[in-house]
Amino acid sequence: MNARFRFATFAAALLLAPGCGGEQDPNAPTVAVPGKPGALKVSAAARAERRLYDGAPPVIPHRDFGASCLSCHTTTGIEVPGTGFAPPTPHTDVDPPAAMSRCVQCHVWQHTSDVFAANDFQGLRQDLRAGKRLNDLAPPVIPHQVLLRENCRACHTGPAAREEIRCLHPERDRCVQCHVEQRTVADFMR
Amino acid sequence: MNVPHHGVGCDRRGFLSAMGVAAFSLRDRDEAARLTAIQDPVAHADLTWDKAPCRYCGTGCGVEVGTKAGKVMAVRGDAANPVNKGLLCVKGYHLPAMLYGKDRLQYPQLRKDGKLVRISWDEAIALIAEKFAGALKDKGPEAVAMYGSGQWTVFDGYAALKWMKGGLRSNNIEPNARLCMASAVMGFMTQFQSDEPMGCYEDLDVGQDFFLWGANMAEMHPVLFSRILENKRQHPGVRIVDITTRPSPTSEYADVTVVMQPGSDLALANGLLHLLVKKGKIDKAFIDENTVCKRGIEKLEEIGFGCHGEQADKYTFADKPADATWDDFVKFLDEYTPAHVSKLTGVPVQQIEAMADMYGDNSRRTVSLWCMGVNQHTRGTWMNNLINNLHLLTGKISRPGDGPFSLTGQPSACGTAREVGTFSHRLPADMVVTNPEHRKKAEQIWGLPEGTIPDKPGHHTLDMFRAFARGEIRVMWVQTTNPWVTIPNLHRIDRKPGDGRFLVVSDIYPTPTTDAADLVLPSAAWVEREGIFGNSERRTQHWKKLIDAPGEAKEDAWQVMEVAKKMGMGNLFPWSGDWHAAMYEEYRKFTLGNGKDLASLDQLKATRGMLWPVVDGKETRYRYAAGFDPYVKKPNGVHFYKAKGYGEKAAIWLRPWHPPAEVPDAEFPFWLSTGRVLEHWHSGSMTRRVKQLHQAVPSAYVEINRADAQRLGIKTGDKVRLTSRRGKLELPAVVDGRGKPVQGQVFVPFFDEHLLINRVTLDAMCNISKEPDYKKCAVKVERA
Repeated sequence: MNARFRFATFAAALLLAPGCGGEQDPNAPTVAVPGKPGALKVSAAARAERRLYDGAPPVIPHRDFGASCLSCHTTTGIEVPGTGFAPPTPHTDVDPPAAMSRCVQCHVWQHTSDVFAANDFQGLRQDLRAGKRLNDLAPPVIPHQVLLRENCRACHTGPAAREEIRCLHPERDRCVQCHVEQRTVADFMR
Repeated sequence: MNVPHHGVGCDRRGFLSAMGVAAFSLRDRDEAARLTAIQDPVAHADLTWDKAPCRYCGTGCGVEVGTKAGKVMAVRGDAANPVNKGLLCVKGYHLPAMLYGKDRLQYPQLRKDGKLVRISWDEAIALIAEKFAGALKDKGPEAVAMYGSGQWTVFDGYAALKWMKGGLRSNNIEPNARLCMASAVMGFMTQFQSDEPMGCYEDLDVGQDFFLWGANMAEMHPVLFSRILENKRQHPGVRIVDITTRPSPTSEYADVTVVMQPGSDLALANGLLHLLVKKGKIDKAFIDENTVCKRGIEKLEEIGFGCHGEQADKYTFADKPADATWDDFVKFLDEYTPAHVSKLTGVPVQQIEAMADMYGDNSRRTVSLWCMGVNQHTRGTWMNNLINNLHLLTGKISRPGDGPFSLTGQPSACGTAREVGTFSHRLPADMVVTNPEHRKKAEQIWGLPEGTIPDKPGHHTLDMFRAFARGEIRVMWVQTTNPWVTIPNLHRIDRKPGDGRFLVVSDIYPTPTTDAADLVLPSAAWVEREGIFGNSERRTQHWKKLIDAPGEAKEDAWQVMEVAKKMGMGNLFPWSGDWHAAMYEEYRKFTLGNGKDLASLDQLKATRGMLWPVVDGKETRYRYAAGFDPYVKKPNGVHFYKAKGYGEKAAIWLRPWHPPAEVPDAEFPFWLSTGRVLEHWHSGSMTRRVKQLHQAVPSAYVEINRADAQRLGIKTGDKVRLTSRRGKLELPAVVDGRGKPVQGQVFVPFFDEHLLINRVTLDAMCNISKEPDYKKCAVKVERA
């Protein structure tokens, strides 16, 4: 499916969708304000709200626009008139057919706010100290699995990047040249 | 595993000023300061990560389970597991919350004056022993029953089987797998005399043409479907043919969606066989070398549909297999001309011919995949036979990318129900109670006197619940499943506790089944205990206990063994201390040397599972295939060495098309089909307790075709009343939802215990597999 066609589908769906036109979702989480004290924690909390635990796929935080997910969540993301910036997908090779082309296999809409039964699960929280570096001149390591998050720019650059993980040098293209995934916490043993 | 981070070890300011600071590192320094300013109590590195298979479906995805302080805090897809290579579906990603519903059952509870009251394990065990012993004494082994599931671990199923057949001397043990893959079992058994597919998931990566028969893979086996889609991305020539009655999310990715009339699949498959033979697109050399022809009873009036209506309580049927010739087969196929088949199925002649050409193209690799549309079918065994026939005729079998591959729905439907053999007629490793040699072998391994195991099969699932309703079964124990949601035509098994019979239910949450129980036992779930599951591709996977179960919850195998000991049958389970390894080694004896060989426990612990037969420590990706299967001594080709009864050849069966048990008429003009949704697993007792999954699909609904909806004045969200000859149900309508039934058909998912579609469904079944047909009955549709 080409991008222009997908956007046309989306735009049509937007026109048909009732109550559309930039209105704010009252349940939308607070977005961090850079420079404001505690902004990171607010931002992290907003992120956590959409996930069962750090590492789980986020649920879909908006209503069904009736368009293909990939019409807005392209590999670069696009500004959607009246709605905001649709962040890019962190996955690569998403155009159907492909293993990653069925978005709703992992990301689901939330059609109600009630629960079937209460639940005590305490999920892993995001580690905001992660991304350690050997010293101030060393690049930080990648503190999460790269699997399914191969498009680094999706979360680390552009308008959708959260302040605390925004990349300061998006012009440098090959991220994994300097930043490496940590696959073990054990030290080398001879 | 608290290994310190490689943190900033030296004094940052001093270091920076000494080095002289470039512009970009100033920015980086700000970033580092921001990050280190925030503390979070638990980091990924603080967790201990261990392997386990996912708790839910038969795919058997590997997960890594992150635990800390006795709690599961996260999972991630296990990239080292060849099943899923790191990918999960939404259920798998949300798996850990399944353990922590606030209403987890934590203590044994006995119903007193209608209320469940906490009792001790000692009291519970003594009471069960007393009830079983009492029923045995008064009415004999036919008055007791055990009903488990394809979610039983190998340990649970083995303990239950040994106790029932070797201890109580009763064959009344069944798994809920009877409701989902019994037809696939009978298909493989009648043709290869050994259960389970010959191929493995690698077929999904290297196949070229994929035929999906009655399988909505995108929702039910999402990670396996992703493997096909990835294959198609890398090899654009790959084709997917979706053969269905209800276009589903799977259809969106299919090259062709073949929409057929409900129950007409046998006509379609026979039509393809007809064309293959007529056009000579068969591998005659393969057929002559490796197959024989068989036929059984074919007359509708001699078979019926089993167990419903007037036949309900006295239905018996046994097929009478007879030899047939190739000429008989060709003659039998005569009537299935494209024109005739098109009329029966509603599938255009061109599509029928195109499908036959695809199956018959010997330059391309072809995989058939099927699931509940084929198995939950009044002629389910027959339809399995016909799919296998397509591969036997073309020789496209037991080769990478070529073969019939049956998909399963439960995590150990293969490993426990099928391999351990927790059915009324089975014993471990393809053996049956009706064979004296098989009984003898089991009695030898179990150290029991000859003649202990009864030779008559017990009640199959539907009959077992009816016998309980009739009062013939006095005591029943249900573990790891929810029959008061999942049995078709639930009216027939309605019960209130205190009717003189005794129902024990082991589960992890309250369900409609625990509501029907006299005694409720709390079970340990998933990684709260050690376990082994076997998935669809013959992969046996082990996991170790990672956390404690809540309260006094105990694993199902322990519950059974304690009752056995209380009844004086401790000799069945003589192991002290950690009994898991000893039990597995005993079970493994059944499998060694007969082509069902399981890996050693050490190997299972060290790997992400092994595909049986495992011989000399090596797994088998393709059964019956020279060069792959150590039991095949031929230099090339295949050898169906398990089919001793057919001269070590596979059987091609002549199986006609029959109409369904109930078809729409003037009063009940719609077809009703039922099934699952991606987000909920089985009866929803686990997935509904996960917020994200519940909020995605909060309740059941009825999918209806747009034209029908307009005619009846129904919009999405409107309440609709479905009425069948058995019951009625009101539920919200969805028009143009994820599934799009064709005109004259509706679809309802079965997971919702508050909207029980099984009060509407029909309990007709396959005459050979005794698996009920949840996919076809007649209903009236009205605005409520």
